[in-house]
Amino acid sequence: MAKVTITVNGEARTVSVPPETTLLKLLREHLNLTGAKLGCDVGDCGACTVIVNGKSVNSCLMLASQVDGFDVLTIEGLATTDQLHPLQTAFEEKGSLQCGFCGPGVIMSAKALLDEEPDPSVERIRDALAGNLCRCTGYSKMIEAVQAVANSVNSHPSVKSA
Amino acid sequence: MEKKTVVAEKSAPAQALLESVELELLRAPALAPLSPLPLEVLVPEARQQTPAVGQRATRPDGRLHGLGQTKFIDDFYLPGMLFAKIKRAGVASARIVSIDTKEAEAMPGVVAVLTGAEIPCNSFGPSLKDQPVLADTRVFHAGDGVAAVAAVTEQIAAEAIEKIKVEYEMLTPVLDPLESLKLETPGLHAPNPNIYGHKVIKKGDIAKGFAESDHIFERTFRTQMVEHVPLEPHASVATWDANGRVTIYSTLGRITLGRSDVARTLGIPMSRVRMISTIVGGNFGGKNEITTEPVVALLSKKTGRPVKCLFTRPDEFISSTTRHPLIMDYKTGVSKEGKILARQIRLVLDGGAYCSWSETTLGKACILSAGPYNIENLYAEAFVVYTNKTMTGAMRGFGAPQVCFAYESQMDDIATALKIDPMEIRLLNAFTNGSLSPTGQTLHSVVVKETLIQAAQRFGWNGAPS
Repeated sequence: MAKVTITVNGEARTVSVPPETTLLKLLREHLNLTGAKLGCDVGDCGACTVIVNGKSVNSCLMLASQVDGFDVLTIEGLATTDQLHPLQTAFEEKGSLQCGFCGPGVIMSAKALLDEEPDPSVERIRDALAGNLCRCTGYSKMIEAVQAVANSVNSHPSVKSA
Repeated sequence: MEKKTVVAEKSAPAQALLESVELELLRAPALAPLSPLPLEVLVPEARQQTPAVGQRATRPDGRLHGLGQTKFIDDFYLPGMLFAKIKRAGVASARIVSIDTKEAEAMPGVVAVLTGAEIPCNSFGPSLKDQPVLADTRVFHAGDGVAAVAAVTEQIAAEAIEKIKVEYEMLTPVLDPLESLKLETPGLHAPNPNIYGHKVIKKGDIAKGFAESDHIFERTFRTQMVEHVPLEPHASVATWDANGRVTIYSTLGRITLGRSDVARTLGIPMSRVRMISTIVGGNFGGKNEITTEPVVALLSKKTGRPVKCLFTRPDEFISSTTRHPLIMDYKTGVSKEGKILARQIRLVLDGGAYCSWSETTLGKACILSAGPYNIENLYAEAFVVYTNKTMTGAMRGFGAPQVCFAYESQMDDIATALKIDPMEIRLLNAFTNGSLSPTGQTLHSVVVKETLIQAAQRFGWNGAPS
């Protein structure tokens, strides 16, 4: 068994897991954080996206031991009991998600982008979401939602449209 | 009996209903008068713009999705749950000589192994019951399951299926649908023929139509197999109780059909099967029939513990249904002006190893194959055949997108050859209100031309009428 100490959504946790455990399995099965989904298990679909030390990663491709000592943010860490994260509000209001399975991954990718670049161009948004597959929506309302958050955060009236 | 005077002049069905109301009056205790029934004929409000059109819609579950709180099937766990994996044949066509599960059964952590021979009724399907749950004597395509394992962890189950040894007697697979169509090709599911569905639509006289045509265009169009790729893989969880009742949680979109298929394959009455549909993470037609459900149910019965099976992404590609590839022969006769005078179509649908929703797809593809055009002389014929490939089934449109590709491509061919604007040739032939469909249905609320014109104007098509 491997002992892993990580900070998840601001809380320090120590877990003993079999060495082959991925970060995704660690979150879902050992910490009961089921927001990140298993879609393909090979890093193609992005449904398992979480943020590790500020970077969005496919948690199915990282071993739990690799994140020892790291800071991990999952979809469960975005909202507080008082309010939704602006991205969650925008995704809800724009109707950006349909079946919703890809949603947590998409929102985490968008969050990582906005943290790094508060005023991204549409091309940058598309690029940041390129690793997240969605079969229902066709992506345009997701991009609109991310743009709306970028606009409101920066109150930047001159942001271009798609 | 004031009601009687109100409704007495109504039509025959209304009269019959009234009589049944009178019978009810005789039976009902005389406490309160019956309320008047809405016997007025409802006039449909066709072509009325509803206020919902153009409005942005949000979903009631949108917030939960964004919070990651929506519980899909893989997000919950039942105490003591085991994990199942299914071993795939990996060969397209073979006879199963033997299945040796001893080594897998001996592995620490493996609780039960299941083979096709143990399934009470090893066949199911939405129309033809030609699909085994797990292949027992014969493999019809590489994605066929041949055995399943339930183990304490997914990892152990995955290792255990590698230890199952299956001996095959290889058979020559039929891979080309046109070869399968030939009567001399041996039937996959003998004694049944390889052509398991056929439909013909005849209208007018095509010989006369082609004779009157100035130009005749002929071409074969083909489409490929397409997988639905729902982001959430197929999955189910079964738990069997001591009263002999099984509860199955499943990602199925059609739980009532699933329930009857499960009851059939398990050989138990439907009243013993409880199907609970979990939130579906993408269906697109691919989650319309059972896959893992009987397997987990039988493994749960064997072990006395809840069992979950989640398709891997390769399982999803090779073992779930796909969109039918079509081979479409189109022959169209037109006048100098581009008016379609006759059209002859032959569709060959590659059905893969099992029927699934092929009959529905065949019917819809055939009916829609002539396109939204007024054609006096039409002959459309469609066949669906077995091949040793991943089975094809329901997928968005049931055959409609494939034939649309063919007839619209041919419209473009004709327009180019006759030097007519592609828009104009469509406006010349398109359905209008009151047009008859190929099967003789009078069409209402037809706005093909209006839609085409508006669309062409919006994206600035050069040939758009102003």
